[in-house]
Amino acid sequence: MTDSLNEQFGRIYDQYIDKIYRFVYLKVNSQEVAEDVTSKVFTKGWEAFQNPGSEIKNPGAFLYQIARNAVVDYYREKGRTKVVLADNGPEMVDPGTNAQDKAILSADIGIVKKAIAKLKKEHQDIIIWHYLEDMPIANIAELLGKPAGTVRVMLHRGLNDLKDMIKEA
Amino acid sequence: MTRITQKQLIEQIKTLKEIKPRKEWAVLLKSQILSEKKAEAVILASEVKPVSFMDTISSLFFAPRGTGQRKLAYAFAAILLLVFGVFGFSRFMQPGALPEQTPAALTVQSPVKQDAVALNNLVQVAKNQKTTSTSAIKDISAKAKDLTQNLKNNPAQDPQTMKDIANSLKTLADVPGTDLSANQDVKDLYQAVVQSQIADLSKMTLTDEQNKALDEAKDLYFQGKYTDALEKILLINK
Repeated sequence: MTDSLNEQFGRIYDQYIDKIYRFVYLKVNSQEVAEDVTSKVFTKGWEAFQNPGSEIKNPGAFLYQIARNAVVDYYREKGRTKVVLADNGPEMVDPGTNAQDKAILSADIGIVKKAIAKLKKEHQDIIIWHYLEDMPIANIAELLGKPAGTVRVMLHRGLNDLKDMIKEA
Repeated sequence: MTRITQKQLIEQIKTLKEIKPRKEWAVLLKSQILSEKKAEAVILASEVKPVSFMDTISSLFFAPRGTGQRKLAYAFAAILLLVFGVFGFSRFMQPGALPEQTPAALTVQSPVKQDAVALNNLVQVAKNQKTTSTSAIKDISAKAKDLTQNLKNNPAQDPQTMKDIANSLKTLADVPGTDLSANQDVKDLYQAVVQSQIADLSKMTLTDEQNKALDEAKDLYFQGKYTDALEKILLINK
């Protein structure tokens, strides 16, 4: 039984580790913190997964929900603000990942990343999920418990805010 | 960047997909989460009471007052105590009739085995990465320390576990760029493993050649050359 649970969670882990790490990283802007928060997310996810009373229908939504809470907890515990961390910028990113380096070395991408970190939390989530993780609007709506129309409006506003921030940069 | 269209902006956002976690960190985290929790699950499973009639007795004792059930409960409990007391005493009086430990209990009493599995996982990660990062060295060193301590506390281990640890150390030594034989925690672990292996081999019937190799391993051990001693021992075990 445990082996089977291990295998199942192993597959979920493989499927979501990049996504959850990226989601967290874009919010905390630090490799070290992103690794720490992401490990907490998967540890909690595994604990819940092992609980015989819990039935996790959508592991992705479940992990994203834990990740959102874990990021909130992180800022609450540290008493930091998103803006302060966003200013720490690209130099804190893992220098060992070539692909990541490529993304960070591009000045334009660096600006987009910083601008995303400064967005409102919900706009940030929706933009990351929809454009980075290719999540359909309906799934985002379900995840946030909001009507799809509202999510579409928020996505539009988020993009406009992002554009304005980039113009100012 | 000032005259960016919405399409360009979306393209720029999509490029952030390149952000990925360090591969070795991701592999290590997966291995840690799954192996540690699995060990916890084994311990928890062993803590489940083997018999449930004690719960029944307990529930009977705490039956509501005035129902008449409590009197019945006391009578029932007294009979049970008497029957099992007599049965237990008679078993105790029989020579060599001590109950054997269940496999589950043995699993729980072997933190060495759990550490050995965890060490092997860490070593395999280092091996797959073909190099050892600072964090991996730290993790391996910490696990080696735990393992050494557990070996000191429980020196009697099954030969297969010790062989597994010895093989993990050998694999680790073969990973390029590692210099863990100088690490004190790893060195202590080498010493403990070699000591245990020498003790085991000394009890076995060996060929002349194997006996000679064992003597050489002992010499190397006394000279503090644990890595070389382990190499010799692994050759004898082959």
